[in-house]
Amino acid sequence: MPARRRRIRRLPLLNLAGALAVSAAILYVSFMPAPGLPALGTAFNPATGAWTMAADAQVTSRSFRLAGLEKPVKVVLEKDGTAHVVAQTDHDLFLALGYVHAKFRLFQMDLMRRQGAGRLSQIVGKVAVDTDRFELQLGLLRTAQLEWDALAVGGPGRAALIAYAQGVNDRIEEARRTHQLDPMFTLLGYTPTEWSPIDSLLIKGDMTQTLNFTDTPLVMAMLDKSLGADLTNEWFPILPPNQQSPYDPGPYPKAKQPQPVASMSITPVVAASAQAIHERLASLGVMASRQGASNNWAVSAARSASGGALLAGDPHLHLTLPSIWFQNSIDSPGYHASGVSIPGTPVILIGHNEHIAWSLTDAQNQQTFFYVEKEDPAHPGSYLWNGAWKKYTTLSYDIPVMGGRTQHVDVRWSVHGPVISERGQTTSVWWSGNLPSQDLGVLLQVDRAGNWQEFRDALRGWYSPTHNFVYADDQGNIGLISAGYYPQVAKGDPWLPMPGTGEYDVVGTIPYDDIPQVYNPPDGIVWSANQRQVTKDYPYYIGTTSNFFDPGYRANEIHSVLTQKDKLTAADMQSLQTDTRDFLASEIVPVLLKSLAKEKLTAAETTAVQLLQSWDYRMEINSAAATIWAYFSGWYPYEVFNPWWKSRNVKVAAGEVEGTLEQDLEAWTLGDPGNRAFSAPGVGSRTAPDAQRAAFHKMMPQIAKDLGPDPKSWTWGRAHSRVLENLAQISGLDYGPRADRGDGRTPLAAGDYPSTHGPSWRMVVDWGARAFYGIYPGGQSENPASPWYTDRVDTWFSGGLRPMLSADAAPAFATWDMRP
Amino acid sequence: MRLYVAILLAVLLSLAGVLFGFWWAPFPIGVAIGALDKRARITIPAGAAAGMLGWAIPLVVAHVRYGLGPSAQSIAAIMGFGHQAAIPVALTIVLGTLLGAAGAWLGTAARSVALNARVDATRNG
Repeated sequence: MPARRRRIRRLPLLNLAGALAVSAAILYVSFMPAPGLPALGTAFNPATGAWTMAADAQVTSRSFRLAGLEKPVKVVLEKDGTAHVVAQTDHDLFLALGYVHAKFRLFQMDLMRRQGAGRLSQIVGKVAVDTDRFELQLGLLRTAQLEWDALAVGGPGRAALIAYAQGVNDRIEEARRTHQLDPMFTLLGYTPTEWSPIDSLLIKGDMTQTLNFTDTPLVMAMLDKSLGADLTNEWFPILPPNQQSPYDPGPYPKAKQPQPVASMSITPVVAASAQAIHERLASLGVMASRQGASNNWAVSAARSASGGALLAGDPHLHLTLPSIWFQNSIDSPGYHASGVSIPGTPVILIGHNEHIAWSLTDAQNQQTFFYVEKEDPAHPGSYLWNGAWKKYTTLSYDIPVMGGRTQHVDVRWSVHGPVISERGQTTSVWWSGNLPSQDLGVLLQVDRAGNWQEFRDALRGWYSPTHNFVYADDQGNIGLISAGYYPQVAKGDPWLPMPGTGEYDVVGTIPYDDIPQVYNPPDGIVWSANQRQVTKDYPYYIGTTSNFFDPGYRANEIHSVLTQKDKLTAADMQSLQTDTRDFLASEIVPVLLKSLAKEKLTAAETTAVQLLQSWDYRMEINSAAATIWAYFSGWYPYEVFNPWWKSRNVKVAAGEVEGTLEQDLEAWTLGDPGNRAFSAPGVGSRTAPDAQRAAFHKMMPQIAKDLGPDPKSWTWGRAHSRVLENLAQISGLDYGPRADRGDGRTPLAAGDYPSTHGPSWRMVVDWGARAFYGIYPGGQSENPASPWYTDRVDTWFSGGLRPMLSADAAPAFATWDMRP
Repeated sequence: MRLYVAILLAVLLSLAGVLFGFWWAPFPIGVAIGALDKRARITIPAGAAAGMLGWAIPLVVAHVRYGLGPSAQSIAAIMGFGHQAAIPVALTIVLGTLLGAAGAWLGTAARSVALNARVDATRNG
């Protein structure tokens, strides 16, 4: 055969080979996910892929069957998606609530349960293995299982969780069937597994970890070894050095538990181990946020213009899209409550019912303790405890990893808790979040409480996180109680890692009647903003300044405003929630101006001083003085403490303990300007005014570099913004950055640049008018194509509130009639 | 005429497949088109048209019913393309088109090889 003909004969084969190769490639990318990319066909096909989010975003009136219902249920959806569930039985109420939560927030709920259960790697790959490993070590899954096992069969808590899970599963089944799963499931290439009651308990565990798992004893150990025991004790005291406004001024009962007395020393091995654990925890980002502050307060009927008690609350959390909150009301024979729930849980966490309203802030007392276990090679797998060698208990887990090999983790437990480090020194952690509690059951009782006695009795069973529960009722009464577990150790310094040999163990909690609380105080107001709740006379140990009560500026400002008028209104409550007055600035700026009075200043410095002189201490977007103060409030501590940090090679970032250092500096500036802290090694003998002048001169070029030469143009909105971050960390689905007011010390909390934490829900209640208002940043739907993804954001930014209506009064945008 | 009917049928089958969740339907339908005719210049565009319309028509219908703008922006954001809504729309249509075209090419190529083999077999005896 001639060569040319042979080539022609081969062409069809080559053509087929090409077609096969191209087809294989297209089918491969269509069916198989690649790193960072979903399977394209599954993800983008128009009928069952991510495009279904368009249909999912449409909410219309429906009538449908819901498996498990006993009787018909009606759900009224307002035009902003606020859901009102009206059921004829309590069982149906929780079932329908589970369905509604899952309809709008299933991906969020799945993420949260995966986080607690150490199962994120299963959907995002090896990037989450370390986090999963830590969560399994910390024990959220174990605790949730123990809590579930302890729930009384047939009890209301168990029944609510079971019904709620069925409602969630009804929605999962419906979404699968109709291809309406959240697009994130499609894009990540998985479908959610069935919801179990333990998943709801895991989500409660997530919140406990977010709010009160801390590593401050490790930080204190590192400070003790590097900064020195003398300065550490002086600068990080138990009691705050500055003037604060505790809400419970006493008188207090005598302590009924032993108090910490012994003085402890930190060995180099313990300090090194503390540093290793601290670095690990910091890299995982699993600790309680120091920005997670909150406000709440109440005003008695006697102090209210409406004649009824007032209540306001705004918990400050990571601001995400979707929000941690879902707004709903629940009505059944046993429950009539309205407010916000955390999707995945069958309770109203903050809100009101027919007779009482409540909100909460984090109480901040120490709930995490570290124990250094004593081991001996002669007793492998054991630790010395109460004079005997005791075997560790081991729990084993598998961590499935998407695109990788399943990882195995063995978690060892001592009597104190899980071992979280074995490098150099075995350290275990006692954390109150690991105490199996019935906290969800407690919240169900709170939802039904009709007066202070029932409210307080319900909270008797609350463990963790410790919260300041504020209360106001329709009879004009107000109260505040910091319910939760207050661990007491037999002896030792609990703010440091302690020996695990038994003498320093947690031996109990403060008796319930002795915890911080007030009811109908004579001045007619109660307030909390994460400040220390009690005075120096309180007989129990509840934590130190660095572990980790708020410095108290928000509480001081709130207290100040609430005491300025004889009669207060709901509008005053709303205004105070968006108060941008920086209490620390009101104290320090006058002192700074005095220090600069005779100083030779440049033209720009003179303008800056003039701006500060006419400033009202409000961190408003258009205020240039606010920016100057914000820079100064960072440069001043840096000027004072950085030389110490450098000379003593301190391993802890000053920013991690800035709250305590800020209190020190405030106290010294106002009352001890000659404190030795101002004369750091290498800077010579100085006083507070010297340090202020130095900081002022040094910061001015920096502001000019950042914002231009004209101080009048340095408006706060140019330097400070806020971002609502997408929960799945997809920056394209964030909201912002948007210029915003406030800072980390104002009641309208907005720390950091950009600020990602703040008032996650604002609520105002006026029992006199029986009016209830609320708002959160974001929207009811996690679907970014839905108008309910960000529809509440503008109202929230402007400080506005929306009426919280009852199911009867709410205008229906859509109605769902659910049938058995 | 028969060709147009075949293409129309292919589009309808492709569309039906996609609507019933068989999003990969354009590929086997493309293979079938290719197997019917050895002229690649006809079968591949026909397969591509079946794939493209099979995927694009549901997209257009969804746009008319719900408006796809926010969804397209969101998908683009998730993919890391900012809010360039055109990218996921284009990607979707291109993928449907490629599935149909690749199928048709494979069908045509396979038919050609099979025909050649039959001719060879006839010649050889």
